[in-house]
Amino acid sequence: MVAGLSFELLMAIVVSMSGLVCFGLIMVLTLRSINASVAVGVVGSVLSWLAALYLFIHYWPAREAVVFQVNWLVSSHVQVPFGYYFDSLSLLMLMIVVTISTLIQIYSIGYMAGDPGKSRYYAFLCLFAWSMINLVIAPALIQLYIFWELVGVSSYLLIGFYFEKYSASEAGKKAFVMTRAGDIGFFIGLVLLFLAMGHLAVDVFSSGEKIAAVLPNLKPLFPMKPETLLTISAILIFSGAVGKSAQFPLMTWLPDAMEGPTPVSALLHSATMVAAGVYLVSRIFPFYEASHTAMLVMLVIGTITMLLSSTMAMVARDIKQVWAYSTISQLGFMLMGLGAGAYFAGVFHLTTHAFFKALLFLCAGVFIHHFDTNDFFDMSKGGARKMLIPMIAVTIGVCALSGLPPFSGFFSKEAVMGALAAKHWVWLAAGLLGAAMTAYYSFRVIFVMWFPRGGAAGHAHAHGHVGHADADAHEDHGAHKGGAVWITEWCMLAVLIVLSAITLVLGAFEGEIEAFIIGAKEAATAAQGAAAEGGHGIGHTTVLVLALSCALAGVILAWFEYGARRATQTGFLSRYKAVERLFANRWYMDHFYRKLLDYVVYGGFSNVFTRNDRVVIDGGIDGFSNLTLGLGRLFSRLQSGLLQRNLYVTFFLLALMGLYFFLV
Amino acid sequence: MNSLYVYLFVALFLFCVGLWGVLHRRSLIAMLISVELMLNAASINFLAFNRFLSPDPAVGQIVVLFIMGTAAAEAAIGLSIILALFRRYQSVEIGKAQELKG
Repeated sequence: MVAGLSFELLMAIVVSMSGLVCFGLIMVLTLRSINASVAVGVVGSVLSWLAALYLFIHYWPAREAVVFQVNWLVSSHVQVPFGYYFDSLSLLMLMIVVTISTLIQIYSIGYMAGDPGKSRYYAFLCLFAWSMINLVIAPALIQLYIFWELVGVSSYLLIGFYFEKYSASEAGKKAFVMTRAGDIGFFIGLVLLFLAMGHLAVDVFSSGEKIAAVLPNLKPLFPMKPETLLTISAILIFSGAVGKSAQFPLMTWLPDAMEGPTPVSALLHSATMVAAGVYLVSRIFPFYEASHTAMLVMLVIGTITMLLSSTMAMVARDIKQVWAYSTISQLGFMLMGLGAGAYFAGVFHLTTHAFFKALLFLCAGVFIHHFDTNDFFDMSKGGARKMLIPMIAVTIGVCALSGLPPFSGFFSKEAVMGALAAKHWVWLAAGLLGAAMTAYYSFRVIFVMWFPRGGAAGHAHAHGHVGHADADAHEDHGAHKGGAVWITEWCMLAVLIVLSAITLVLGAFEGEIEAFIIGAKEAATAAQGAAAEGGHGIGHTTVLVLALSCALAGVILAWFEYGARRATQTGFLSRYKAVERLFANRWYMDHFYRKLLDYVVYGGFSNVFTRNDRVVIDGGIDGFSNLTLGLGRLFSRLQSGLLQRNLYVTFFLLALMGLYFFLV
Repeated sequence: MNSLYVYLFVALFLFCVGLWGVLHRRSLIAMLISVELMLNAASINFLAFNRFLSPDPAVGQIVVLFIMGTAAAEAAIGLSIILALFRRYQSVEIGKAQELKG
């Protein structure tokens, strides 16, 4: 379907290759010169942003998917294509990815100022963006899988960016290994499908009719019904999304992933790494819709994840950890929406979440950069409220996260809630509980930061003073450097302002995006359907009111515990020590994995292999050499050194020989 | 009694004495002497067989001359070995030379 080198194709090439080219340029040429590397990275990402913007606007009215692809591998009737697949979903996601990665590259100019590894950092950022962009526009699941792994590799590189720090390199490894655990299932699922279908074109998977047409012609490897195969492979592929999007059994890598630089966390948590899992599910959503079991699994996993990680966030003191838990819970929420069958709601929440979560992390980055601590209680004592722009930005982000109108999160959350209500009231109740907890823990952060407490004890007060002194020292230090600092500060603040603006207005475009994603006609019928459903199910207005009141309840609880004048700033959970410990230890999931590793890997496999090594291999060689030695020792007895005994034996043998010849 | 047997018994006696000496004497020189005795026993055998069984070609006598030659050479080599051993161990005891014990 390659139709010459049209301008669109050229733009697509720019979008898809600029990251790799920048990565190569930085790694080969400009690793020594930090400024040149930054320039290469930023120019490259701005270029790809412009190209993506062109494509987005150009294809805006188009309802048909546009495909550019060439055959990469051909073997008899099996073909593996490589290329670009532009439909409304991939265009929207592409836009999110390039926008956020460009903003983060600009922000990093300020955040990473003075870091000796900045060139390497920019190279990895480019690689990260490149892998994600190509994942998004993949025309076949095989290409998607390849870039999926590349996203994993580059996130490993970035999480472990401060590799000289032990915890950072451990976190990188953990992220890589845990996501790989899910990817095994993903790969097996892909192989099963590939063997049965002979190709993995996204085109087929993203259309319900085409899947229905393909289904009877499937030739499964093992004798089973095509529907069974579909369910099994859907669940296996979903396990890849579970790993990547940090869902329930494999969620603990994400809170550790904040060991990387904060802009990386922002990128990781919003548009690239974790979004990949949800994107995969929405990319092949009709495929999932064909299997009720897979949808139910998705719904259940999403619900468990959302509730568990919200509880974890309620007791965390580290600002990045709070945002990390909230990312997990929001991803769970998206999967709940998708699992409930609401394609648009999930995708729209992914979109809004990408922007406000990037905003929240980048705000956290400003505070961390300024106060040199991750603990938001310490930030508050250090005078965080005086930094007006980041404070306002973080408040906007939190309002969006909690789903308060008129911020973008409100619209998308409400869309998901509507879908859950249509499914069953249990899911709605879980969603509402999650919304209340989300509002509680995110406003907890905000209230603590807006209303610092000196603390009743003198110690805390002194600590606050130290924080002040640090901040002052920081500012003095900054003043000496002059103009450069001004630029770096504004790089960061400008990005915050842009993201806040997007977060503020994005909700207003719900209708347009919905029309773009699922088509104007379908959107209208969906709305009518929802209105008609309102008669017998839980009404749309009811859901709206319920969701809002739950969020407000969370906010009010947070206000009484952290905001009000007489509030002690200790949560109600600290009255239940056991529960608090359970939440703070992430429900002991890490302990569980530790134990599992100890028993299964170290105690099981590695023990067996060690024994094999020690006993069979080492023992065999040792035994052989011992045998040789023993035989040698035995025979060396013959060498008595007594000449006459040797002569005795010689004569005796000669005599025997003589006797033999004499007799025979 | 046939006189051939007399010679053979004398030779047998000499050989046994020599063998006993080689196997039991401690002194290397005594061992060397015993080897000479065994050689002489062999020589007597050759001469006796030559004299009583096939007198015409005097092959036995020639062999005995060879034996005497080799015995002389052997004595020379043996004595020089004994000298070398004596320099090393300050003794000609066979029991001292045990370095090749395994």
